[in-house]
Amino acid sequence: MAQRKSQNHPAAATILFLREKGTLMVCKTCNAEIPKKATRCPECGRAVVKPHKNLYPIAIAGAVISFVGGFFPAIQNSDASKKFNPAYGFMNYEQPALWYLFIALLTASVILCAIKYEKISIATTVLAAVVYAIVYNNICSRHGAPGMQNGLAGALVILGTIVGVAGSFMDVNKNAAERKRKNGELDYQYTGNKTVWQRIYIYRGFYIMFLPVLIFVVIFNYLPMVGLRYAFTDFISGQEPTYVGIKHFVDMFGLSSLSKLSSKHFLTAFSNTLVLSIIKLFLNTFMAVVISILLNEMFNIYFKKSVQTIIYLPHFMSWVVVASIFKMMLSASDSGMFNQLLMNIGLIDQPIEFLTSESTWRGVYYLVNIWKDTGWGTILFLATLSGISPDLYEAAQIDGANRFARMRYITMPALANTIITVFILNLAKVMNLFESVFVMYNPSVYDKSDVLQTYIYRQSFSGGAANYGYTTAVGLFRSVVGCILVLLCNKASKKVRGRGIV
Amino acid sequence: MEATTNKAVYKKPKRKITLFAVVNTIVFILISIIILIPIWKVLVDSLDAAAGYGMRLWPAKPTLGAYKMILSRADLYRPFLISLLVTGAGTIVGLVLSTLGAYVLIQWDMPGRNLLSWVLLFTMLFSGGMIPTYVVMMNLHLTNTLWSVILPLGINVYNLVLMRNFFEGIPASLFESAKLDGCTPMGIFVKIVLPLSKAALAAIGLMFAVTYWNDYTNFKIYITDNKLFNFQMKLRAMVMDNDLPTDDGSLSTNTIQNAAIIVAIIPFMILYPICQDYFVQGVNVGAVKE
Repeated sequence: MAQRKSQNHPAAATILFLREKGTLMVCKTCNAEIPKKATRCPECGRAVVKPHKNLYPIAIAGAVISFVGGFFPAIQNSDASKKFNPAYGFMNYEQPALWYLFIALLTASVILCAIKYEKISIATTVLAAVVYAIVYNNICSRHGAPGMQNGLAGALVILGTIVGVAGSFMDVNKNAAERKRKNGELDYQYTGNKTVWQRIYIYRGFYIMFLPVLIFVVIFNYLPMVGLRYAFTDFISGQEPTYVGIKHFVDMFGLSSLSKLSSKHFLTAFSNTLVLSIIKLFLNTFMAVVISILLNEMFNIYFKKSVQTIIYLPHFMSWVVVASIFKMMLSASDSGMFNQLLMNIGLIDQPIEFLTSESTWRGVYYLVNIWKDTGWGTILFLATLSGISPDLYEAAQIDGANRFARMRYITMPALANTIITVFILNLAKVMNLFESVFVMYNPSVYDKSDVLQTYIYRQSFSGGAANYGYTTAVGLFRSVVGCILVLLCNKASKKVRGRGIV
Repeated sequence: MEATTNKAVYKKPKRKITLFAVVNTIVFILISIIILIPIWKVLVDSLDAAAGYGMRLWPAKPTLGAYKMILSRADLYRPFLISLLVTGAGTIVGLVLSTLGAYVLIQWDMPGRNLLSWVLLFTMLFSGGMIPTYVVMMNLHLTNTLWSVILPLGINVYNLVLMRNFFEGIPASLFESAKLDGCTPMGIFVKIVLPLSKAALAAIGLMFAVTYWNDYTNFKIYITDNKLFNFQMKLRAMVMDNDLPTDDGSLSTNTIQNAAIIVAIIPFMILYPICQDYFVQGVNVGAVKE
């Protein structure tokens, strides 16, 4: 990274680095010794670039915990059968300004930690807790009655405050930062001799150019994130949302006796999402690897090109088209070509309802996915394979390795990295499964096919007074699991190929 | 056949036709047939007035009636035109946003560049999900307008990052010399960056076009007015709900449905063989670069 940046930027040559020589700091350009607190080199007068201080992730996590705590009720009905109704917290507190203050303080904590003023963040985090305490006290005096119990908010805010305060003393990145500085990564900054404001002025045109992108991202990505607060409300379409605390999450996981049934649908959808997308991923990757290895063994270039053109083809069809084609081919009526074929051969007597019977739906789904996406999936593998030097194969051939030994000892190791990369890239998208299922499933196979996104869609848009609060809660759960998956995959990706996916 | 290896260190004997090669060729012919059979069947049935039973290699009663019908009836060609409109407009919006964003993100010296790229990348990490997005659209009064299907897909962070990867290949010295000659940032963008990345524009433009043409989810969620349906929605209604136009009975329902499928895929079946390299390039740059 650092190397590329310096190539891209000629001004980099004039920038001053700090190099530590034992305990002394030495100017990179003139090798003069620099006093500890100097801002300019005494010899050549260039600006000193301070090494980065460290980020405080634990302190940030503490602030985030408190922040999340703000969504939960301070006190709620202890009777579980009433589904925590009524519940009182920041969201339906009579003075919303205090909630905004709470959120602003915690956001300030996160920002302070990120810009390395972590000690000040102690004050803001604690102040946020104090604001909560005031609100809690007030809520108790207004709404406290027998039969009410403490909600999750208090616990989360206390936990978040403790973690936040403790975290601002924990320099967890210290070792990593030291290592990076030894490698010379952290020293790099292009400050030159211009101040930030001067550079902002120079780049003013670019900020304006970025504005349209920013507006789109804010409207279509960040405003919906703000809308995730509906997860803690009852929000019937056309009405104002009313705050209910964590009622929907209790419903989702069947924690109260009344919600066992509705939670069954949710849990089915969740497990289906995982099963369908992971098995699909395994099958598609496996098929793509096999096909690209075999295709790589083809030596007639024209044949190879035409095969490639053909197998990429289905990728350009929409899921609607693919579902339509296969619905007609697999239908049990007279026009269903596949059933007719099987009956003519004599394998079956009765036509099989491929898409409407629970036993066959998943198999058909996987096969259709293989048909549509395997070819496209081979692109990366073929690119890797074409990068293997032919010398390797020839050397192996001279040494007497047969075709399969060559595949085993040359092709497979070269592919391994790409396979893992593709796997990680796709694993991060597991939770996004929607359209392919949505166009192929039908009410008779919901148990085997319903995934989180289709469940959300059905609950929200299939008529009646839908509770957007509940479906937002399901969506929030989906987003959080997806986010965790992406982060894990990102970490794995960094390990495997030295660069993340986001 | 011999010309596949360029190094002549070890002169290979003339490649023999081995058993493996024969089996391999047969396997790939089979795979190609498996891919093509459904498409071929749809094509044949769409041209066959009596389509409906089994598989034919050639139409029994050849007719272009179904296509004529799609071209002549407003409720059938209107969705097609809407698809074209949305694809065209969407691709332009998408390309403008990705090129602008990518151009700003390659300014290494710009204060706040990292913050801006994190603002974008965070959206890949976490999303509001279907319902909050729908509520935002509703509050903006965009539902049941074509804006609701054009705008949200226009900002695609993945494509923007791809574009940035392409732009990074442009030598920085070009920017420097243009700046010395008095070129404004916008001038550099229009006169240097865009002309040098025609291949990238083609690759990413095609990716946007495919996404918009094949879009079904957004139409399904945001559009309830059937005057604004695109062709995918219409096709879905025709095949799944048997919502077929009334006709004089000379065509079987199957023929009309199959013709609709062909119409839905024809633009990219024509475009794809011509632009195959651009498509492939887009995928490779996404994962291999760096």
